[in-house]
Amino acid sequence: MHRLAIAGFLLVLSVSGCAWMKGTATSEGRRDAQVVPVPPNAAPQTTPPPASTPATPTSTLPAEAGSSTDNGSERSSTPARASDAAQPPPPATPPPPTTPPPPATPPPPVDPANRSSSAKARSTGDTRPAKVAGAAAAQTLQSVSSPAPLPPSSSAPAPSSTPNASPTLNLADLEQRLRETRAIGVFTKLSLKNQVDDLLNAFRELYRGPDKHPSAELRQRYDLLLLKVLTLLQDGDPPLAAAISSSREAIWSILADPDKFAKI
Amino acid sequence: MAPRISALTLTVVTLLGGVPLAAADDALGKDLKATIALQGMTCDQLVESKRNADSDYTASCKDGNRYHIYVNAQGRVIVQKL
Repeated sequence: MHRLAIAGFLLVLSVSGCAWMKGTATSEGRRDAQVVPVPPNAAPQTTPPPASTPATPTSTLPAEAGSSTDNGSERSSTPARASDAAQPPPPATPPPPTTPPPPATPPPPVDPANRSSSAKARSTGDTRPAKVAGAAAAQTLQSVSSPAPLPPSSSAPAPSSTPNASPTLNLADLEQRLRETRAIGVFTKLSLKNQVDDLLNAFRELYRGPDKHPSAELRQRYDLLLLKVLTLLQDGDPPLAAAISSSREAIWSILADPDKFAKI
Repeated sequence: MAPRISALTLTVVTLLGGVPLAAADDALGKDLKATIALQGMTCDQLVESKRNADSDYTASCKDGNRYHIYVNAQGRVIVQKL
């Protein structure tokens, strides 16, 4: 009986030991499988931190670093473990110094307007290498480097479009909008039209004479009339009031130029 | 039963028809008041407006001023103080 019990105990021990060995072997195999791709990953994964740390001096990166870390921690915990597992091979860390390309990202901080876009690009770039295998390292590097040129291109049109919007003048459109707006009643519109016609007649009289320069009085009349229009529109049709207000100088430039005035 | 329904109908029609009319009067009052102001005359609050003809109104203001507002043959808006 004792022999049987001992044999059974040994059998159980051997079976459990084999099972444990299999488990460890598979886990090690997984680790190896993770570690093998990690070396390529180790570079991008370990690089972002240095990239963020040197760039942190600027005010832009704290949020970016936080977002990237948050995303990394929230989205994939396994990659983090992989990086932890990859840390043991810190000898592979020599690549990090070779990753100064990220420091090339500081240019984005120069553009505060596009801070978000660049931040998003970076965060995605950081998360991708964490998720994807090491083969994506090159892509991440490209994505990290690409955002730098992108922001300037995106920032350039934005400011250029806003200033262009104000000086543009479409008299026909403004006239049509004035006719159709419900912010002004019929009597008021007709009264305003009378006053506009009076002012235009004054300009015509002026340009018939030798002196082609509009007087300060005409400018005052023009300003007063525009003020009346804006007063009437500012509550009922703010967009039209803003459009007219932004076109004030453009309209005056037409009125004050005999050639342009003749083409009206 | 029939008188109740008719009374209800009359009330609804009055309410539905009265609101736009009031809005129209309000819009006309604002229009007349703005027209008076555009001509450089004073009217603190329009209390009454009487329609004389097409594009011809007499407006009474709270401060006692009364104006004749109309469009003349040349298409100009005229505001005459009465």
